Amino acid sequence: MIKNNKWMLLVLTAVMLTGWFAQGFLSEAPNASAKEKHNKTLVMGTSADYAPYEYIDTAKSNEIIGFDIDLARHIADELGYNLVIKDMDFNGLIPALDSGRVDFVMAGMTPNKERKEKVDFTKVYYSAQQLIVTKDENIKSIEDLKGKKLGVQLGSIQEKEAIKIKKKVKNVKVEKRNKIPDLVQELQTKRIDAAIIEDGVAVEYLNQNSKLKAFVIPDTGSAGSAVALPKGSDLTEKFNSEIDKMKENGELDKYVKKWFKIEKSENEKKDAAAIDFSVVWSSLDFILYGVITTLKFVAVSIVLGFLLGSLLALMKISKTAPLRWFADAYTSIFRGTPLILQLLIIYFATPQLTDYEISAFLAGVLTFGLNSAAYISEIIRAGISAVDKGQREASLALGIPYSSMMRQIILPQALKNILPALMNEFITLTKESAIIAVIGAMDIMRRAQIVGADTYRYFEPLIIAGLIYYVMVMGLTVLGRKLERRMSRGD
Amino acid sequence: MIKIKNLCKQFGKNEVLKDISLNIKQGEVVAIIGPSGSGKSTLLRCVNNLETATSGEVWFKEQEVTGKKADIQKIRTKIGMVFQHFHLFPHMTVLENVTYAPKTVNGISKTEAESSAKELLSKVGLSEKAEEYPGRLSGGQKQRVAIARALAMNPEVMLFDEPTSALDPEMVKEVLDVMKSLAQSGMTMAIVTHEMGFAREVADRVLFLDEGVLVEDASPQAFFTAPKSERAKTFLQKVL
Repeated sequence: MIKNNKWMLLVLTAVMLTGWFAQGFLSEAPNASAKEKHNKTLVMGTSADYAPYEYIDTAKSNEIIGFDIDLARHIADELGYNLVIKDMDFNGLIPALDSGRVDFVMAGMTPNKERKEKVDFTKVYYSAQQLIVTKDENIKSIEDLKGKKLGVQLGSIQEKEAIKIKKKVKNVKVEKRNKIPDLVQELQTKRIDAAIIEDGVAVEYLNQNSKLKAFVIPDTGSAGSAVALPKGSDLTEKFNSEIDKMKENGELDKYVKKWFKIEKSENEKKDAAAIDFSVVWSSLDFILYGVITTLKFVAVSIVLGFLLGSLLALMKISKTAPLRWFADAYTSIFRGTPLILQLLIIYFATPQLTDYEISAFLAGVLTFGLNSAAYISEIIRAGISAVDKGQREASLALGIPYSSMMRQIILPQALKNILPALMNEFITLTKESAIIAVIGAMDIMRRAQIVGADTYRYFEPLIIAGLIYYVMVMGLTVLGRKLERRMSRGD
Repeated sequence: MIKIKNLCKQFGKNEVLKDISLNIKQGEVVAIIGPSGSGKSTLLRCVNNLETATSGEVWFKEQEVTGKKADIQKIRTKIGMVFQHFHLFPHMTVLENVTYAPKTVNGISKTEAESSAKELLSKVGLSEKAEEYPGRLSGGQKQRVAIARALAMNPEVMLFDEPTSALDPEMVKEVLDVMKSLAQSGMTMAIVTHEMGFAREVADRVLFLDEGVLVEDASPQAFFTAPKSERAKTFLQKVL
C-alpha cells in the first residue's frame, strides 16, 4: 500500500493546490484601491505604462498613479462610486469596454472616428500637443521626414497623425510599436529616425536625454484626452458635468500643474549611461513580486496540464474510437494554433459569450493548462507505449483491474521514461508564461515593462527579468535531475 | 480442471492452432513441447485468454473462459502464469511484487500479504532479497520471484511459458528445482519447455505440437522411447 498511498497523496496535493491557487486568484481584487466609502463601484480600465497619465512609481509601491488616476478618483468620488482600476495593454482597452470588463476607460485616450464608432466619449478634459521627437539634427520640420522611418504607438492617436504626415510627405515609413518606451528605445538604437509622442509624455524623455530634440506638429487640432464609456451609457452626461465643474472651480488646473510640470532647467539635463542599473535598483522589489504571480501561474498551469494531459493520453490509447478522435482533434487544434491567439480568444471571448468576467490570471491558467495538456498528452502516450508490453500481460494474468494497472504499474514506469521530456515542457511553460503580460497579468515580464516605462530605462529591467526567468528555469532543471535520479533507483 | 475443445487460433491468415482438444486433470503436470513456431505458447496463452480463441472452447473447471459472459478477470486470479522474460514490476521491491496482486485484487491486508509472501520467498530460496529491486537480481532469481508472485494468488493451476529459455545455463537448475518441488506438492501445471530431461522426469504427460496440430499426447516414457509419429521422431533426433 505504500506506493498506492504515495500516488493518492500526490494527486490529492495537486488537486488541493489547484483549488487553493484558483481560490486565491478569484478572490484577488484586480489592482484594486477601493476604499469602501461608497456602496457602488466603477471599474476603470487603463494601461499603466504612459507616464504621467498613468504609471506605477515602481521604486515606491505597486499602486497605479498619474493624472488620469487623480481625475478618475475625483470624478468617481463626486458621483458617489468607489473606484477599482484594472491595468491592461492599451490595445485591449476598447475590447475590454466592449465586453463589459470595465465600466470606463481613461488612458490619455483621444476620441477619433474609429473609436467613436465603438464607444462614447466625454468632453476632452486635457488637450495635448503632438511632438516629433528625434535624435537626427537634420529633422526640423515635417518635410524633413522624407524617406525616414517614423515610429508611433499601435492603436494610438499618433498613428492617425502619422498617416496624415504620410499623405503630405513622400516616402515616410510608419513603424508601429506597442508602447512608448519601445519607441524611445528604437530611437536610441536608430532603428527609427523619429517618433510622434504627446508633449506631456515626451517631456520626461527629453529631460532624460539631451540628444533627443522635439518640435510640435502644426495643425494637429484639438487632439485631447477624453473618457471612453460604453455606447449609450448614462454615465457619459454625469462625467461631462463633473469635467465642466472641475474646469470652472480650478480643480482640473491643479491636477495639470501637479502632473505636467516642466521644471527641469537646461543644466539639469543629463545623459544617462548606456547601461545603468542604479536607476532600476530601487524598483527591483517591484519586479521580484512578479515571481509570485509567475510561480502561481506556472504551478497551476502545470497541474492542470498534467491532469488533463494524462486523461487525453488515456483516451488516445483507449479502444473507444470517438474518445480517440476527440483526443487527436484536441491535440491537433491546440498544437496547430499560436498560443497567444488562444490566450486572447479565451480572455476576450469568454465574457462576450458567457457573461462570465474571466480574470487575466484565470484566462492565462486556462489557456496554458489546455495548451500544455495537448503536448503533455503526446509525451505521456509515447511514454506508455514505450513500457514493455509484458508488464501489461503480467498484470492481466494476475487479474489486476485496468485502473490499478494503469495507475500503479504502467504510468509510474511511463513517468520515468518521459520525465526528461516532461521537465522540458515545464521549462517551456515557465518561459512562455511571459505572454500573459499581454493581458495585463502582473507577472515578471509585465512588471519589467512597467518599470521600463516608469524609469525611462529599457534594457535594465528586461535583463533583470531575464535573470529571474533563468534562475527559475535552472531551479526546475535541478529539480528534474533529482527526480530522475530518485526514480531510477529500481534499475 | 482444464478442458479444451476444437480450439482454433488465427493471426490474420496465419493459422497457428488447428482444432486442438485436450484435458488436464487436477494435480497433473503436463509438458508441452515442439519446434519453435509450432503454437505451444499460443496454446498456453489461450488458457487464460491472453490470446482470444478464434473458435472452439476453453473451460476452466465449470466456467467457460471463451464464453461471452465469462468474468475473465476473476478466472485469471485462479490461473497463475510465469513468462519467459519474467515481467517483474521494476519499480517495486521483490516483496511488493509478490504482495501487490493479493492486496489489490483480493483485498488482503498488508501484514497478512507480507507474511505469506515471506513464506513463499523462503520456499523459492530468496528470503534475503525481499527488499531488493528486480534490477539487482540475476535471471534465475527473477524467475523464482515471478513464480512466488504467481503463487501468492493461491492459483489452482500454474502455466509456465518457456520459464528457463531466457536464462544463462547455470541458472536453469535453480528454477527447475523450484518447479519440481511445486509439482511434488500436487500443483496442476502446464509447462511449455525445451528442457527434455525435465519433461521426462517431472511431467505426467507430454503434448507434442507441430505446425499448430496436437500430434502426440502420451506419457513421457512412451513419448521419449517410442514416439508414434515421424514428426516427433525427427524432432527428438534433433534435440536429444
